[in-house]
Amino acid sequence: MSEELIQIQNTFRFTEENQREFDALIGHYPVKEAAMLPTLHLAQKQAGYVSPAVMTYVAALLEVPLMKVKDVVTFYPMFFEEPVGEYVIRVCHTLPCALRDCKGVLAHLKAKLGTDVASETDLGKGTTPDGKFTLMKVECLASCDVAPVIMVNDDLYKNLTPEKVDEILDNL
Amino acid sequence: MVEEKRILYEHLDVPEIHTFDVFRQHDGYACFEKAVADYQPDDIAKMVMDSGLKGRGGAGFSTGLKWSFVPKDIKPCYLCCNADESEPGTFSNRYVLEKNPHLLIEGILICCYAMGIETTYVYIRGEFTLGKKRLDAAIKAAYANGYLGKNIRGTGLNVDIYTHPGAGAYICGEETGLIESLEGKRGQPRNKPPFPAVEGVFRKPTVVQNVETLCNLPFIVGNGVEWYTKMGPTYGDARFDPPKPDPNTGTKLYCISGDVNKPGVYELELGLTCAELIEVAGGLRGEQVKAVIPGGSSAPILTHYELDTRLDFTSLTLAKSMLGSGGIIVMNETRNIVDCLLNIMKFYAHESCGQCTPCRWGTPWVRDIVQRIADGNGRKSTITRPKFGIAENGRWGDTGETEDIYEDLDLLESVANNIANVDTMTWNTICVFGIAVSWPAVSYMRKFRPEFEATIREGKLTTLSVEEATVPPEENYAYQQRIVPRELE
Ligand SMILES: Cc1cc2nc3c(=O)[nH]c(=O)nc-3n(C[C@H](O)[C@H](O)[C@H](O)COP(=O)(O)O)c2cc1C
Ligand code: SF4
Ligand code: FES
Repeated sequence: MSEELIQIQNTFRFTEENQREFDALIGHYPVKEAAMLPTLHLAQKQAGYVSPAVMTYVAALLEVPLMKVKDVVTFYPMFFEEPVGEYVIRVCHTLPCALRDCKGVLAHLKAKLGTDVASETDLGKGTTPDGKFTLMKVECLASCDVAPVIMVNDDLYKNLTPEKVDEILDNL
Repeated sequence: MVEEKRILYEHLDVPEIHTFDVFRQHDGYACFEKAVADYQPDDIAKMVMDSGLKGRGGAGFSTGLKWSFVPKDIKPCYLCCNADESEPGTFSNRYVLEKNPHLLIEGILICCYAMGIETTYVYIRGEFTLGKKRLDAAIKAAYANGYLGKNIRGTGLNVDIYTHPGAGAYICGEETGLIESLEGKRGQPRNKPPFPAVEGVFRKPTVVQNVETLCNLPFIVGNGVEWYTKMGPTYGDARFDPPKPDPNTGTKLYCISGDVNKPGVYELELGLTCAELIEVAGGLRGEQVKAVIPGGSSAPILTHYELDTRLDFTSLTLAKSMLGSGGIIVMNETRNIVDCLLNIMKFYAHESCGQCTPCRWGTPWVRDIVQRIADGNGRKSTITRPKFGIAENGRWGDTGETEDIYEDLDLLESVANNIANVDTMTWNTICVFGIAVSWPAVSYMRKFRPEFEATIREGKLTTLSVEEATVPPEENYAYQQRIVPRELE
């Protein structure tokens, strides 16, 4: 491993607790590579996003080429390659939510946060300057009975109206 | 009105049912214990076959038959529970995971016992944070109480369950995409054959089963095949003489959303009609039904003339649609079908995994055509062409009339049919995602052609009345070819 890579690797390391979780994870699979998704989730939770340093670290842990990690990270929308806001707001915009005016919710969020919607290649576009929020559109969140819905980090909010959105943001 | 029949969802609203103790108080794990005490593994497999249980995840394939394809002599064999639930309009698995995860564990245990499986992975959608938390806690409790792990309750059975989070890709719901993703790779579907039952995860035989399918198992074992097959219609397949039984047995967790007063999950016996389901869900929100999507966004649309179609696997297939995942989306008279198709095509263009050229290029192309039409830039030729149809002499031929040429509609159909041909049911792609794209594209366009034409002519999104927008039954290809199956005596 080159000096440079070792340097990068030194900038990210699992906390002790996460290391324990990882050790348990790896035992679930007959091959290490299979732990890729849960490991990346764990790393992203710790680091906020999947930086090159994180990818290098994960590649070393799972004993796969760095490129395989990059390959996976770019395939799945839930992994971020750039820093995102403290609160990631996901607005569902698939048909059942569209039939219940998710557009209104999105427009309200855009106006209120004063930001555009992030695109997969440009997360910065949807991030507020203070780094507090990232606004993005997602596909059906499997909660169409309580549409329109949004997710703020890990929490789902249902039956939204602009007023409810205000309330949610105020309580964060 | 059709009554709800809560079996899988019976205890769903019991407070704290997600905990081990409360689940036990409601006869939890009793069916598993019965299975192990009273039956041999092969008996269970036979019961599942005889029950007529069909997979609830989308394809509707007979579960018993799938199990029979698994080679007995190759070990280990894996079970993958498909909890990726991402088909737009579907949300029944989520409630099981969040509210009654032990029921899923019990179903998994029965499947593992029947198939001699020791390791199960539950591939759970990345966004299901609460569901995963609840399931993880339930698994932990089951281990602590000896219902998972080594030598379960002294039976000599060993079963481990691990949850595996997805990361937001719809295509990982496709069974071989799921397997690739589970192996730590991009979730790109594999060529079939070999089918997962023969060569799946880690190149070993793998049973892939939806959450709802697995949750049916305790009840089949607990109450017996006869009890189970009384629910839902069993049709006679008329291609055989005497007609071969075609079971659509059991209940279905119908998910209904869109323009109804009480959207939600309703557990009902299979086989009620579309109109009846809307009634159960509190009736229509609006004046008139314009269209219904019967089985998740991949399913061909039904017009208001087709609301008498029964919502079961066979009836919908014979009506040129599908029950799919059981996600029913209702649209009222205010909706514009072009706009709805645009929304769905954006979804598919975003979710194509990119492996096959027809899908990778064709899907965004279809989206762009619909976008163009919706934006008011749909292309219509300045010339007309002779109209073919039933001529004066009663024969097929030149009617002597002319018709407009809507180039973009012809193009839309052509591109869609080149991804997967909906008439011949052949696809030029690796997985059936291709069909999931061309089915809605072609069916919306053919069944609501007047609305597409009006939108192109007017140069802006134009919503017609339900009658004007819908192609009448005589000209509706699906209605003309539809077969209504007959129940066996
Ligand atoms: C594009 C695509 C997406 C799918 N998504 C899901 C899904 O989210 N959940 C699911 O259970 N099955 C899904 N399926 C169906 C699975 O491929 C598979 O048939 C099913 O999990 C088998 O389980 P079952 O027999 O119990 O239904 C999907 C299929 C395709 C082609
Ligand atoms: S049809 Fe589409 S989603 Fe399926 S494998 Fe091909 S490119 Fe991927
Ligand atoms: S469409 Fe928004 S949750 Fe399903």
